[in-house]
Amino acid sequence: MPVRVVDNSAPSQVSGANSGNTSPPACSLLRVGQAFSGTQNVSNLQKEEAWRVNVRIQGCDLEHGYLCGTMEALNVPMADTPVSVIFFSQQQLNCVYPFHPILSESPCKLISHLIVFNDVQVVTFWEGEIVDTKNYTFYTGKWEAAPEDDIRHWTKFQSFSPLLNQVEVDGGKSLDLSNYHHIFMRWKEQYFVNVGTDCGLTIAGFYYVCFSCSDGSINGFYYDPNSSPFQKLELKCTNEGRSGFSFSSYELQ
Amino acid sequence: MPTTTGTGTSTTGILHRLASDDQDVKLKALRELKNQIIGNRTKKLSFLKLGAVPAVAAIPSRRPAVLGSFACGFDAGVQAVLEAGAFPNLSRLLSNLDDKVVGAGARSLKMIYQSKFAPNIITHSCKTSLEQKILFDAGVLKKLTSLLKGSLSQRDASLESLATIFKNNPEVVLKFVGPDSGRALGSIIELVKDRFIRTRLLASSCLIVIRNTSPCYLQDVGIKAKLINTLLELLDDPGQIGEEASFAFSSLITQKEDMQKLAFELNAIDKLYNHLQRVHYILDGLKEYCWHWLTCAQSWNVAGLDFCRCRYGVARMCQVLNLVIDALAHESADVRTAACICLRSVSRSIKNLSAGYFMNETVVIPLVQLLNDPSTSVQLDYVSQILLLLLVLLATLVVDLTTRRSTFIRCGGVKQLVQLSKSMDATIRLNALWALRNLMFLAENKCKEGVFSELTAPLLASLICDPESFVQEQALALVCNLIDGCIDSVEYMFAEDGVIFDAVGRQLQSASKAEIGIQGMYVLSNVATGKEFHKEAVINQLLPHADNGTQSCAFIRSVKLRDAGIVSQMKEMVNDPCLDVKLRVRTALKQFTTVEDGSI
Repeated sequence: MPVRVVDNSAPSQVSGANSGNTSPPACSLLRVGQAFSGTQNVSNLQKEEAWRVNVRIQGCDLEHGYLCGTMEALNVPMADTPVSVIFFSQQQLNCVYPFHPILSESPCKLISHLIVFNDVQVVTFWEGEIVDTKNYTFYTGKWEAAPEDDIRHWTKFQSFSPLLNQVEVDGGKSLDLSNYHHIFMRWKEQYFVNVGTDCGLTIAGFYYVCFSCSDGSINGFYYDPNSSPFQKLELKCTNEGRSGFSFSSYELQ
Repeated sequence: MPTTTGTGTSTTGILHRLASDDQDVKLKALRELKNQIIGNRTKKLSFLKLGAVPAVAAIPSRRPAVLGSFACGFDAGVQAVLEAGAFPNLSRLLSNLDDKVVGAGARSLKMIYQSKFAPNIITHSCKTSLEQKILFDAGVLKKLTSLLKGSLSQRDASLESLATIFKNNPEVVLKFVGPDSGRALGSIIELVKDRFIRTRLLASSCLIVIRNTSPCYLQDVGIKAKLINTLLELLDDPGQIGEEASFAFSSLITQKEDMQKLAFELNAIDKLYNHLQRVHYILDGLKEYCWHWLTCAQSWNVAGLDFCRCRYGVARMCQVLNLVIDALAHESADVRTAACICLRSVSRSIKNLSAGYFMNETVVIPLVQLLNDPSTSVQLDYVSQILLLLLVLLATLVVDLTTRRSTFIRCGGVKQLVQLSKSMDATIRLNALWALRNLMFLAENKCKEGVFSELTAPLLASLICDPESFVQEQALALVCNLIDGCIDSVEYMFAEDGVIFDAVGRQLQSASKAEIGIQGMYVLSNVATGKEFHKEAVINQLLPHADNGTQSCAFIRSVKLRDAGIVSQMKEMVNDPCLDVKLRVRTALKQFTTVEDGSI
C-alpha cells in the first residue's frame, strides 16, 4: 500500500524536502514553443474513437516544476449544433463523452434529450506539475486522486517500473530524477481558450503524463473519476513542416 | 604672566576665563573645569545651568574629554552637549591625527551613545556598515534594547535605531538574534502588538529589516502572519502611519514567494483592493497616496496564478484592472508610472496572458497613447521612466497567446516600438526590441509581415550589430522568432541581399559574449530547418572555406561537416554529463550515418 509523502490531507507539493539537484533534466524537446500532435483515445465497448489533439508548450519553469501550454482537440463533438441526430443511452454517453456537462450536471435530461453534434475545435489552457520530487512527488494529493489511483496510472508507463518500489516507500521523495530519460508530469486543464464555459464541455479531470527525453514523445492517461478510465493520450513532437526543430522564445521580466 | 584671581576657581570665574582670548588661560580653565565636574553631578549641573557646554564646545581642541565628562552618566549633560551642536564635531575628531584627541572624542561619543538620546542620534548617524559596526562594538545594541522598556518615545526611537543598525548588516543581526540576545528579539516581537500604532509599525519595520537582511531568521509562520496582519491593519490609518505601512508591507513581501503566498492566504488582496478603490475615488487630492497604494499592489507580485484563485477570482481581478487602467491616463506621472508597474506585475503570468485579459483595446489603447505622447510637463527622467516601464510592460503583454496581438498592431503599437528601437538610449532600444521579440513569439504570418515591413531588413541588421551587446542579443532573439513557424518566414533572412543573414554571420564570428553566440546559433538553426537553399547558406556561413561545388544535397553537406571535423567533435560529446546534450548528439550522429549510408 503506498504511503503519502506528508500525510493524507497534504497536497503533493513539498517545500524544501530535498536538497541538491534532483530536478528533471532540461530537455530541448520540452521547451517553450514546442508543438506536439497525436490522439486521445476515447473508445468504449461500443465504438472505437480517437480525437486528434495538438499541444503546444507555452511556459516552462523547471525550477518550480511548472509547465503550461495549450491543448487543442480537433474533432470534439459539441451539442446543439444540428449536424446529425443520434439517440444515446446515458451509459453510452458516459463512456464516449466524459467531458459532456449535461452528463454530470443534469443526467435526467439525457434520457429524453436529443443530442446533436458537430465537430469543432476546442482549445484549453493547461498547467503542469513536473514530478521532480522537489516541488511535486508522484502522489497527486488532490483532484480526487488517491495514492492508489496515482500508482494505478503511473504503472501504466513502462518507464515508471524501475521507480515503483521507491515510490511505494516514500512517494519517490528520495529519487534523483535529474538524469532520468523520462519526465513524469500531471497536466490539468484550467480553462477554455476559444469557447465559453457554457460550451457544453467539462475539464474536470487531469492527465498523468510521461515524456521521453530521447524522442520527445508523450504518453498520458486522462483521469476523472466520472469518466471512462485510462483514456490514452499519445503525442509526438512535431517540427511543423520544417526539416528539423526550430526555436522561438519570449521573456517576461 | 597671568595669575588666577581669588574668584578664578569659582564656577563663574572658570566660565569667564573659558571665554578669554588667551589660549593658555582658556586651556587652564578647561582643565580646572574638567577636574571639578568629574564624578560630581552637582558641579556638572551647576556648570550646565550657567551654559558651560556651549563655551567648551566652542574651544577647538582639548574639549572632547570635557564634553565626555559632561555626558557621563548624566542625561542632562548629554542633552546640553547635543544642543550645543557638539556631536558632528566630536564625530569629526575620530579622524584626527592625534591619537589622544581620537581617544577622547570616542569616549565622549560613547557616553552619548549610551545615553537615552542615543536612538535619535543613531538613526541619523549610521549610514555605512562600518558605522553600524562601530556602534555595535561600542555596545549600542545593549543600550537600545534596554530602552525598549522605556518611555513611549524612547521605545519608538530605539526601534528605529535598531532597524538602522541592522539594515543590510547580517553580522550585526547575527549577534543580535544570537542566544545572548534572544530575549531582545522577543521584546521587539512583543511590540508588534503594542497598543500604540506607531510602535506597532516601528516594531514591524524592525523585524522586516532583520528578515530582509538575514532571511534565515524569523521563519516562524506565526510571526510572519502577525507581521502581515499588523501591517494590513495599519493600512487603515488615514495618516502617515498608513502611508508608511504600505511601504513596510511592500518591503515585507517583495520578491519573497513565501510571504506572498502567506499574504494571499490571509486575504491581503481584498484588503489592498479596498484601499486601491478608496484612494482612487479621492485621487485628485491624494496623488501621492495613489502612488503608494499602487506600488504596494505591484510588489504583491501575484503573478496571476494566485490572483485567479482568490475568493473573487477573475471578477475581482477585472475590477482591480479597471482601476489601474484608469490610472494609466492620470495626470500625475507618478500615478501613471505606478499603474504601469502594477499592470506589469499582474500580467506577468502566462495563464493570464493566455486568457487574453490584457490584450484588449481597453488596455492597449491607453498604453500606446502613453508611448506616443509622454507628457512634456513632467521631467525628462519621469518620461524616460514611464517609457521604460511601458516597454517592459508591453514586452510582457504582447506575448498574448491568443490571436489578439492584432489589437496592438492596429493601435499603432508596432510603429511606436520601431521608432523607439532607433532611440539614442540603449536601454530604450533594448526594451523596444524585447517587446517586438515577444510580439513575434509564435506570431501569425500576417503579424510578422506587418512588423517586418515597419522594421525593415537594414534596421534589423544594424540592430544585430548594435554597439551594445545586450541589444545585439535581443535583436538576434527577435530574428529567431521572426523566422520560426511557417517555412516561408525563413526568407526574411535573405531580404535585401541577405543583410540580416550577413549580420548574424558577422556577430557569430566576433561574438563578444557567449549569449550572443548562442542566440546566433539558434538563428542559424532556424534557417537550417528551411529549404535546401537555406541549409546550403548555413553551411557556407559556418564553413566559408569549404569547397562550394555546384551540387547541393544532404550527402555533400554531411561530408563537408565531417571534413571540417564536426563529426569527430560530436563523437567526443556522446557521453556528455548533460543528458540533453548526450541525447541530441546521438540523434545528430545517427542522422549523419543515415545520410552517408544513402538511406535518404
